[in-house]
Amino acid sequence: MYARAMGKLPSAGPVTATGTASHNIHGHAIAITVFSTIKWWGKAVLPVLFAVTKRVPKLTETLVQLSFIHFARWSVIKELPYNGEPQTKRKLRYPHMYFESNFNGGWEEYIDAFSHILTSGMAAFWGSSYGFPKALPTAPFKKYIQVNETEASHYYSAYPDATITMIKGALDVDEKLASLKRDAAKLDPAAFGTAYQRFLTEAQRSL
Amino acid sequence: MAERVTMDLADIQGDILRAYGNDYDCTSYAFVKIGCPPERARAWFSGLLEHVTTAELWDAGKPLTTLNVAVTAAGLTALGVSDEVLGSFSKEFREGMSSRAALLGDVGPSAPETWESGLGNGDAHVLLTINAQQTTEHERALGLMKAAMADAGGLRIVYQEDTQLLPGSREHFGYADGFAQPAIEGSSDKKARGGGVPLKDGAWRALAPGEFILGYPDEDTRDDPKRRLPTAPVAPLGKSAAYMVWRKLYQDVARWRRVMRDAAELYAGGDEHKLAAKVVGRWSDGTPLVTHPDKPDPEFDASGPGANDFRYDSDLNGRRCPLGSHVRRSNPRDALGFEGHLSFRHRMIRRGMPYGKELAEGVLNDDGIDRGLVFVSFQASISRQFEGVQVQWLNTGNLFGLGHDTDFILGDPGGKGKMTIQGAPPFFLSPQEAFVKTRGGEYLFVPGITALAALADGTAG
Amino acid sequence: MSSKNNVNGQASGFQSMTPIRPGEEHDLRAYLEAMHENGSPLARLPRTHMARFVIVENFHNDPSWGQRKEEHLDLWYLIFTSNLDGDIDSYLDELCEALAPEAREIWGRCVGCPEETKGDALKAYLKHNQIDCGFFYAAYGSSTAAEVEAALAQRDQVIAFATRVQGLSDEELQRSFLAEFGTT
Repeated sequence: MYARAMGKLPSAGPVTATGTASHNIHGHAIAITVFSTIKWWGKAVLPVLFAVTKRVPKLTETLVQLSFIHFARWSVIKELPYNGEPQTKRKLRYPHMYFESNFNGGWEEYIDAFSHILTSGMAAFWGSSYGFPKALPTAPFKKYIQVNETEASHYYSAYPDATITMIKGALDVDEKLASLKRDAAKLDPAAFGTAYQRFLTEAQRSL
Repeated sequence: MAERVTMDLADIQGDILRAYGNDYDCTSYAFVKIGCPPERARAWFSGLLEHVTTAELWDAGKPLTTLNVAVTAAGLTALGVSDEVLGSFSKEFREGMSSRAALLGDVGPSAPETWESGLGNGDAHVLLTINAQQTTEHERALGLMKAAMADAGGLRIVYQEDTQLLPGSREHFGYADGFAQPAIEGSSDKKARGGGVPLKDGAWRALAPGEFILGYPDEDTRDDPKRRLPTAPVAPLGKSAAYMVWRKLYQDVARWRRVMRDAAELYAGGDEHKLAAKVVGRWSDGTPLVTHPDKPDPEFDASGPGANDFRYDSDLNGRRCPLGSHVRRSNPRDALGFEGHLSFRHRMIRRGMPYGKELAEGVLNDDGIDRGLVFVSFQASISRQFEGVQVQWLNTGNLFGLGHDTDFILGDPGGKGKMTIQGAPPFFLSPQEAFVKTRGGEYLFVPGITALAALADGTAG
Repeated sequence: MSSKNNVNGQASGFQSMTPIRPGEEHDLRAYLEAMHENGSPLARLPRTHMARFVIVENFHNDPSWGQRKEEHLDLWYLIFTSNLDGDIDSYLDELCEALAPEAREIWGRCVGCPEETKGDALKAYLKHNQIDCGFFYAAYGSSTAAEVEAALAQRDQVIAFATRVQGLSDEELQRSFLAEFGTT
């Protein structure tokens, strides 16, 4: 039977994870980690923004269509838990925002897409952060991200060879293949031939 | 709102904005190594300047020959440019093409170890590109060039490629080539229809000149209220200039023909012209597949204004022009959606020329002759434009929803070069060994006329 | 009790931010940077899709940004995030078991980490320092890592099969299909 690739690095495949430091890369997956300091009013506005974005699918429609991102998150850090000496027990002066993403393609292409295509989204999520230039023009926005970005020390993907479109395609193929597998033995050859061609025609965008 | 820009054509070298290859019989590329001290090299370099062809339009008719000059990072150092000034050039230019081989997919049979002697090893300093009307002019120009080098001493040609147009302006796989170019504001605005950025309402617009020529606003800075210009090397070098990519690509024509013939047996009843058109995205005469999916257009004129006026919005499933076909990958136009914003900053001016004797029609066995394409492109950013396309659009298919499928016309020794020809049902081409192999290349810089004089004077810093 | 904002489909996002003991920062970084050499230990947690360790030295303060007071971290911090299947609580149980050998070198270098760098003690430490997501995005949050991996392998299998069987008769095609994909 067919062997499963469990987290193995690709043998000699194309390089697509470009434009970022080496520890941010595992196969075709790139990690980006960005901190920013939030203005006082962001503490109230951001949770509302998060809640609305979660409940209104249309707002993430473009993000989904772009198919660059596996997983991403924004968190607001209001305080750091105390763990004893030598950590100082004090409150943070400002809230801080943590952003991370796991994506495919190059770093430049990724930030370009956010700058040109998710312009208002960027303004919504980073507008309350100190120093945020607008998302356009791109050059100052890229500089802002670079200055606030931290390189990972260790980055891991369970399927480093795969991209989001491949995964979505694979899940789609699985669904379509299931019914063909179910009927395969029962059909006469001619009927099977037709069913198989129909499966290929419907699944071709995922192959 | 962006102001209209006028380009200082007298300060820009002509080969960037003009396709001299179409106007002349022969094009020679001579890579010179400077083995003498910078002062002597600069004296020789000054001697070239009066012959350099600018981008100004010719009112007195076409000159018999044209000359253009480009330099590598090593060449700048050999001409006496300081490390500090060199540091203002882009990282990829300073590293050089051969050190970026893994990124570009120049591995296995395309690895720098297999390249022509003189390319990719730091020997190439100055590239002289000479176009000539006929062989006599060509010989005279080369003779003059060699004489000037002999006079200076310590200079030698480490690699030379002589090229000429094939009949019908085809490349060696038989396809009309070179006529699809970006429309540049202030230079080729009339090519906007089909050559520019596709807008939502069906209109097109030309690209900002700074996408190709340094010192001008680009697509990012054109609307900047602070009027900042794009990153460029320090003055005077960073104005009226462009980065240049030069790549010698061997084409295995015999094997291409055999693979197409064999694969066509299972596709469209043996119609290998149709299968090949599906791989390329155009018929061999240049007719776009997306507008003419069944056969070429007898009226098609590659040099006509409408030759590139097409979009992919009526073919988002790739049933007419496959999603992974070569031209669709190299210039996706509106195919990626989002008003072209995923592709509009990755255009290149291409000025390549085929090299080597043609393989006679119908011959399916290799004759051992070296033939292929000298790929030449001009752009403001090698990494965003040339490398971006090579790495993200040709060497993988992710952005097109094609997983790791590579551009089939290149072939892929890594085994991931399968191609889906969309249809009902689809047809699959299995991965093939490389049809195209890199035989050498360099990243270069094409200074403006003022900058050339500064380099010759030793005042470039 | 973990926030609902940590959930997307069947997937969850976990994050911990723990202060690093002064003097141990560079050793920790070197250890983490070398961790891929013998294969990431995170591969022992099959419920993990993607995870990272990030060392944060300080907040970025730029006077031109209009921030009235500067904000500095008194210590360097270690961030660990994971995009995982199912609930965080049982995932942490698995992590504190499977990563016990590495945990000593990683969280063992952090302030307040229990002497016993595994099991319930480690789990309590990580939960004490947990940061909830505000907004968690997942492109395929309803699929587990195992399902994703199996689907990817199957996609490759289908492509290879579909290319191979072009031109076969219906009978041969059906036979090949049943041989390749089983009859179950």
